Order: sequence, then structure tokens, then C-alpha cells
Amino acid sequence: MAADEDNKKVLKEPWSDEGFMKDEQRERLIDEIAKENIQLKEEIQRLEAELQEATINSQIKENIPETKVKFTSLENPENDSQFLNISCSFQVSSQVPYELQKGQALITFEKEEVAQNIIRMGKHYVKIKDVDVEVLAKPVPLNSGVRFQVHEEYSTVKINVTDIPDGLPEDQMRDKLELSFSKSINGGGEVRCVQYDKQSRSAVITFVETGVADKILKKKDYPLYINQNCYRVTVSPYTETHLKNFQVFSGISERTVLLTGMEDLQMMDEELLQDLVNIHFQRKANGGGEVEVVKCSLGQPYMTYFEEERNGMV
Amino acid sequence: MSVMYGDATVGALQEEQASLKSRLQELQRRWRELRALPYDQVPFQAPAVPLVFRGHTQQGQEAPKWLVSKVRIGYPLSGGSALVTFDDPKVAQRVLQQKEHEIHIEECRLRVQVRALELPVVTTIQVSTQVSRRSVLVSGFPAGLRLGEEELLDKLEIFFGKTRNGGGDVESRELLRGGVVLGFTKDAVAQYLCRVGQFTVPLGECKCPVRVSPYLSGEIQKAEIAFWPVPQSVLVLNIPDVLDGPELQDILEIHFQKPSRGGGEVEALRVVPPGQRGLAVFTATSG
Repeated sequence: MAADEDNKKVLKEPWSDEGFMKDEQRERLIDEIAKENIQLKEEIQRLEAELQEATINSQIKENIPETKVKFTSLENPENDSQFLNISCSFQVSSQVPYELQKGQALITFEKEEVAQNIIRMGKHYVKIKDVDVEVLAKPVPLNSGVRFQVHEEYSTVKINVTDIPDGLPEDQMRDKLELSFSKSINGGGEVRCVQYDKQSRSAVITFVETGVADKILKKKDYPLYINQNCYRVTVSPYTETHLKNFQVFSGISERTVLLTGMEDLQMMDEELLQDLVNIHFQRKANGGGEVEVVKCSLGQPYMTYFEEERNGMV
Repeated sequence: MSVMYGDATVGALQEEQASLKSRLQELQRRWRELRALPYDQVPFQAPAVPLVFRGHTQQGQEAPKWLVSKVRIGYPLSGGSALVTFDDPKVAQRVLQQKEHEIHIEECRLRVQVRALELPVVTTIQVSTQVSRRSVLVSGFPAGLRLGEEELLDKLEIFFGKTRNGGGDVESRELLRGGVVLGFTKDAVAQYLCRVGQFTVPLGECKCPVRVSPYLSGEIQKAEIAFWPVPQSVLVLNIPDVLDGPELQDILEIHFQKPSRGGGEVEALRVVPPGQRGLAVFTATSG
């Protein structure tokens, strides 16, 4: 070792061979660059993998509007799961917004062919107060939306228990839970099984009969007896919710047409303009047909909402 | 000799580094862009779904973003219970004022309990979206393709299940509007298929070009439950086991139609005889 060091010292002497020094420096330079390149490659690999797995954080957090429901029919539960859960399912679909600017209008025709024809014709001359106003018909540019099904199962025999005190070994605590939740005097009932997680201080209790869970959940907590002490643990419903058929879709308007060019009519009454537009585009002579809806914006922009056509699949 | 080789090596390495750095910058830029994008601007293949304007407008930006449809709730009923649906919700309210009802049949009295119906429904959800590692979206089917749902799913699964087509074991399949999601057991299969992008698949009458692209999947992160009332219906519980089904039905109907007992016009009455199980189905009244 000492000999090598001596050699190195020798190489560093200013009077040593230039070629040798260049080699040495070059070696170090090559080493350095090679190392940097390896690090770059690793970073690139990592980013590529992350991009592949990109988690776009939920922009979707919404309230589901309350819908009136009514009894429809009595069926036979097909399996145990249908009997042990109150199940709920529904379809959710984005209402895709389009901001209607001043001087624009939306017109929805009953038939797609009529709408497409109006767009194909492009320019239309609508008589408004003895003036032929040039109106342009275009497709409506729409953003994308999402649609999915929500499936929820609300258990009639299981409950979640949280805020369970620490201090007993797992097995013992499980027994204490079973004993307390079996006491009918407190609203409990025969327990089928207890799943207890000491770390999270929580448990899932499954009862044999339906109706027990319901009774217990009328209150937010329940008495747990450990030796001579009574602790209140928190109880809550046991539910499972998942999505099906999730998809992003791009909206295309087949029956609704965008009309532009009415900016100069700001002094007019919107409703009157809507009627005139409606009448004009109902006439076959004008290339039109049966009209469902017309909405004009003159004084201020409106946020309009597009929804899925009713007769879709899934 | 060694000097020239050395210089070339340095040069080559420096060139490599320059190109690696530019690739890295490109990826970092995309990463930043992706994190800033809301889900609806993600550059994924989004099959077209026809939408229509029905006159729904709102001034200002606060409007419910969702349309809910096809609501279906299944409520299990134990044996010895019944569900009474009145025409008028006020009648239901009146009946519920008494927790216990005595039903008179000749000399006997049947004691039953009544209860209001509350259905636990998801009302607030938080969904997170993510590019799926194992699933792909198959889209771009020709318009007017006449295949039943099952047929389409089967034919796609058959084609993309074969390694000679670049596919692999299919774990799941789901029909969407304008597309199909296929889930594979191996990431590599999904990745490969997306890279290739275009395939010609035999779909019955034609060999159709289809597009395969990454699938953005959604999962529920949080769901809150609220209880929806069913104003017209009343649950009847703990019916004693003394009568046959049809007889019981008649007796209950008579009882709950009597105004003297607080009852009224009954729209529907269904009984679940003791020892049996029933599933009451509730659906949305409009939309």
C-alpha cells in the first residue's frame, strides 16, 4: 500500500510524463461521467415507472342528490349475501357543462339527422324584427365526463367497533368483546364471530340474528365490561362500497346545435328571441324539424348542462 | 493509441449524458403536467358518449355535477313481516304514530309492530383515479356493429387471451359505453398491448380494427351513508305464526285500510310468511 501511494505521489509530480497524467485524469473523468450516467439512468427508470402508475388525485368528491324511492316488488333473496345486507346500487354520470356566451344559443332537435343537417348548412338567416340576422350553426364543443355504477352493501348482521381500550392481550379482549356484545340486557345478541385488531383498537362483530345490529346502532356507543370497569366503545355500521364500469368519456352532442352570431341583439328579450329561433328552425323549408329545447343568452352567460341520452346501454 | 481511445470514450460518455439529461427533463416536465391535470384533461382515449341539452341551466358555478339513475335498493325481510305501501304518505305517518297494532280477527287479536322504513344509501363519495397497470381499454369499434354484449366480450377475450396475438390470461372484462375494459393477470401484457395500440380483431361479420389504450380506473376512497325515508311505506314486524299466507294478507289489508285504525287506501301489501325470507325492492320514482 505504501508503495502504491508513493507511486501515486510520484505521478503527481509536475515533472512526470504528461501522457500518464492525462490518462489518470481521463480515467477519473470517465469514472465520474459513467457514474453520473448510471444515476441518470436510474432516475429515468424511476420516473418512467411513476408516470406509468400516475395517480391523478381525486378531483371527484361529490354529493349524490337525494332521490325519491318507492316500493316496487317483493322478491326472493337469491343467496345469503342478499339477505344479510341492505344493498343499494345506482348509476352516476357527469353532467357536462357548457358555458353559453352572450349572443349564443343552444337548440336541441328531436332528430339527429335534422341537427346534423343544420350544422352542415352552416349559415342561416333568421328574420328578427324585419332584419335577416346571420346565424352560424356549429357542433357544441364538450368536455369529458365520467360515469360509473356505485354498489353498496350495508350489513344487517355486522357492526364496526372502534376506540377499544388497550391493556389486554388479543385473545382475552376478543372474549370480552364477545361477552359484552352478547348481553341482551344492553341490546346485544348471540355473536357469531369477532374480528379484533389490537393495533387499530377496532373490531368487527358479526351477530347470528338480524335486528341486533340495528338496535345497537341506535346509539353511538356501547358498554364494554372489562373486570370491574365499564368502557364505552364506539359503534358504527359495517358497509362495503365499490364502483363498477368506471370510465371517462368524451361528450359529443348529436341532437343539440350551437348557434352563434346574435351578439348585436342584446337589447332584445331573451324569451322572444328563443321563440323566433324556435319557429325558424322548426320549418322544413329552413332545413329544420321538430325542436325540443331552445336557450338563448343575450344579457349574461349561462352555464348549461348536457346529460346522457336516455336510451344508452349499461 | 490509448490517448485517442480515451478521448473518444470521454466524448461518447458526455454525449450519452447529454441525451440522458434531456430525456430526464422531458420526463420531469410530463410528470409535472400530469400532476397538475384534472381528470378530465388526461390524454387518455375517452370513448364518445352522446349527450343532449334538455334545458338544464344554472347561473353561477354551483350546480350538482352528477345525474343519478337506475337507483335500486334491496331490503331483506325476515319471516313474519310485511311491507305496506299506502297511496298517501300522511296515512303512513298516522299508522306509525302507534308502535303496536292490534289486529282483530273474529275472537282473536294479533299483536304486531310497525316501523318506519329508512334506507341506508351512499350520499357522498370520494373517488380516486389511477392509470391501471393490468387493464386496457379496447375501443374504436365500427359503428353499427351488431353483436350482443356477451358476444362482444367473448370475442375480445378470445382474441386478447392468446399469446400469439400479443395477449395473455384475461382476469376480468367489463362493458363500458363505447369500449371494453380487459384486465390481465400480468402487467407486461397490458403494457405491450398499449404500446402496439392497433389490432385487427375478428368480430363476427368483419375483421375490425380496434384501438387498445391505457385504462383510467376509479376506486372509492370514502363513502358516507345517509338514511333515505320511504314516506309511503310501513314495515310490519313480529307477525305471530297463526295464519296461512293468503289469509294473513287479507287480514292485514283489511286492518290497514280501516280509517278507524288510522289506515287508508293501500297501494301494495306484501307478506313474508314465517320461516321464509323476502327481499323488498325499492326503485327511484323518476329518472
